[in-house]
Amino acid sequence: MISLISIFRVWQRYLAVFRKNIVYALVTTFVEPFLYLLSFGFGLGSMIGAVNLDGQAIPYRAFVLAGIVAQTLLFQGFFEAAYGSFIRMYYQKIFQAIAVTPVTLSEVLWGELIWDSSRATLSAGAVLMVGVAIGDFPWLGALAILPFCFFFAMIFAALGLWVAAKSRTIESISYPQYLLVFPMFLFCGVFFPLTNLPVLFQKAAWALPLTPVLSMMRSFTLGAAFDPKALLILILWVAVLVPLARRAMIRRLLA
Amino acid sequence: MPCPLVVSHLKKTYHRPGRPPIEAVAGVSFEVQAGECFGLLGPNGAGKSTSMKCISGFYEPTEGHVHILGIDVHRDPRSARRQLGVCAQEDSLDTDFDVEDQMTQFAVYYGIPRKEGRRRAEELLGRFDLLDKRTELVESLSGGMRRRLQVARALINQPKVLVLDEPTTGLDPEARRILWDILVQERRRGLAILLSTHYMEEAERLCDRVAIIHQGKILACDSPEHLIQGQIGTEPVEEEIRPGFRHRRAPNLEDVYLKLTGRSLESDSPGEGTQA
Repeated sequence: MISLISIFRVWQRYLAVFRKNIVYALVTTFVEPFLYLLSFGFGLGSMIGAVNLDGQAIPYRAFVLAGIVAQTLLFQGFFEAAYGSFIRMYYQKIFQAIAVTPVTLSEVLWGELIWDSSRATLSAGAVLMVGVAIGDFPWLGALAILPFCFFFAMIFAALGLWVAAKSRTIESISYPQYLLVFPMFLFCGVFFPLTNLPVLFQKAAWALPLTPVLSMMRSFTLGAAFDPKALLILILWVAVLVPLARRAMIRRLLA
Repeated sequence: MPCPLVVSHLKKTYHRPGRPPIEAVAGVSFEVQAGECFGLLGPNGAGKSTSMKCISGFYEPTEGHVHILGIDVHRDPRSARRQLGVCAQEDSLDTDFDVEDQMTQFAVYYGIPRKEGRRRAEELLGRFDLLDKRTELVESLSGGMRRRLQVARALINQPKVLVLDEPTTGLDPEARRILWDILVQERRRGLAILLSTHYMEEAERLCDRVAIIHQGKILACDSPEHLIQGQIGTEPVEEEIRPGFRHRRAPNLEDVYLKLTGRSLESDSPGEGTQA
């Protein structure tokens, strides 16, 4: 039996650490997306002008900003879960320490995933707010996508947790980072419409979770056509990755 | 009041793909009374840590039961662990927190209100002589202080049972003695202590009863004095401690262990090596 109160107590630990090092927390949570926004949105955006998205011309800045929201969820969710949980499991052994209090290991791992997703959502929420403030996103669309952001972040956090569970050393987290996370970031359509790529490439990109996230993000924030396939694929990812990651981490800790 | 800790027929077998399974704990039973200090004595690989992890409910045992104040720790970990304090063998301090917050944060996991958590933290840090370190980061503490903090943290929920897995391994003699004094104080308060160790002085000095554990089984269990008398006798033991230098001394638990297993406590005996 999972207790929500216990999960909340674990979540509170992460929040306490976040608040304790608030400057570090704010810098690592918010600075990166704004660097991308300045560089790509304002810098590159002024050269490119508009992009064609489902037949309507969208300013590149708005196009890439929606991409950055998705990229923020990917990076914040994955890195916090992958490196963070590896440190907590392997170096601090804090998962093990909490799991002999009335909180169970299963609840500790839910707390981890929910925190990672919360933090990524907070970060993505800040980018969405900037999008609304500079007039690139409608506020209703930005608000409506926010709960989905938490759900998207959960996919990337679960991916990170699974990677942490399977990595023998902290260095080996670099493999999925360079071979999966960075390619997703570069080729799923954060910076350019996926339709610019060869069809085979596009199909491959749809098999990765960032592509459907980008599709839904641009439907809500830029008015692109909503493809129900995107939501279905993401539900499938969550349904597979979350139990897979939790089971792998539990196995690793109990082996 | 039911017995603080009852361990019955505990077994833990590790199944490994393609290799024969290892029986790390092969049917261990004992109980620990209030105010008693009970020791599991054995070298590395004897099954101490696995037993401890089953007792704290972290591992699911293959067979057997563990009851803390009558509550099955595997059936109802939430209630059972409210009465249990655990100090793991490895350093598991939360390095993201300073000394005091380390304690209050742990109080949160037990659902202890913030104010009460702070009060208990202050009282425990005082008792463990760590009060002047309260705002220090864990990283800046010495090994002995870290270990003391880990024991103090295990008492934040005012448990009736304290499980200590090799609490003084790696500590210098001074730090070890300080921790021993603290444990003596705690059992006077009625705490039931289960401790594992491979130091026979530690077992002789602290434990009312010692179980000698070898290859996952308890070979003998009694007070240190009875174990020594029963197995070895009272005659002094002569041994060559340096080449050409023979020394006579009183028999100790190490001799008991050697007699029962044919091995010394220092020997490292991982699962496979001991099957012969």
